[in-house]
Amino acid sequence: MAEKDLEQVIIGCRSGDERSFSELVDLYGRRCYGYFYRLTGNRVVSEDLLSELFVKLVEKIKSYRGGAFESWLFTIASNIFHDHLRAKQRQQKLLKGKREQLESKAADTGRDDVRFDRVQTQLEKLDSEVREVIMLRYYSELSFKEIAAMRGEPIGTTLSKVHRGLKKLRELME
Amino acid sequence: MAEFEKENLNELFERFVDSRSAGEAAEDIEKGEAILREYAAPEPSMKVLAKTKTMVAEALKQRKKRELRRAVYKVVAVSAVFFIVASIAVKVFERGPVGSEERLAAFVIPNAVWEGDDIAADDADIAVLTAEVNQIADELLALRLGDNGTNGQGGVYDAEMELIEINSDFWKG
Repeated sequence: MAEKDLEQVIIGCRSGDERSFSELVDLYGRRCYGYFYRLTGNRVVSEDLLSELFVKLVEKIKSYRGGAFESWLFTIASNIFHDHLRAKQRQQKLLKGKREQLESKAADTGRDDVRFDRVQTQLEKLDSEVREVIMLRYYSELSFKEIAAMRGEPIGTTLSKVHRGLKKLRELME
Repeated sequence: MAEFEKENLNELFERFVDSRSAGEAAEDIEKGEAILREYAAPEPSMKVLAKTKTMVAEALKQRKKRELRRAVYKVVAVSAVFFIVASIAVKVFERGPVGSEERLAAFVIPNAVWEGDDIAADDADIAVLTAEVNQIADELLALRLGDNGTNGQGGVYDAEMELIEINSDFWKG
């Protein structure tokens, strides 16, 4: 989509136009879903996170002050994923007593997709932070410079993480 | 063109490693991303996208309600502040420079004392008045005891006359 068209969609969203939000879902829904899916490995959770992301955009769109929209969007997506991780950890702590029961249940429901997705299985062997940067780069289509700025780290660190991770993924897939 | 597409990975890596290693690193990234393209993640179903759009529409309605409520609160708050300020202003202007109680107290005090600039002279008048009041009190006590050498009736008359005279002198200023 041309930058001008995207700008029009964003202006529409800021003014609360439902059709503009619908266009935004069409534009970024698949990419954001892919990002969540590759990080969680779970379709149901990814669907929930996707809805949460766009609902959050309704509230946050007014705070978008220009610049790369993808950078802004994926920063929110990343925060939502981290909130999900924290909630999951809290839940696991609370239900420590029923751990075995939960783990078997999770294995039954959550990881069904993984069996059919070879790359997902290998991605889960990577360090979680490295996996996150790779997915950010792949789905946001941001440059290394933009990703480094977004994560608040030197560009060399971002380059190194993505390189290390993708090289390992290639080795695992061979 | 997006920054992502303009980016030259070789040049980027050459900032940190030699050109040969930079080339290899860039190739690793390109091949790795090719794997991700080959094994694409599943896409959300149309149903999921439709559900997301419905949730967004609902959130938009809530946002509009909240914005309307906030606007109403703002108008009410501004109106309340306006009425408070206006009522205070009206009270201040109605009251005038001096209150009625203050005016009554000022009326009782003679103009000569009230407007006089000579504080020492005013103090002296008060001292004389006090001395004369004390004298009358002594005379009245003597009359009551019957030891002032008069027949009683004349003494009371004299005391009354003196009192009238003092009162008249004092308030004349």
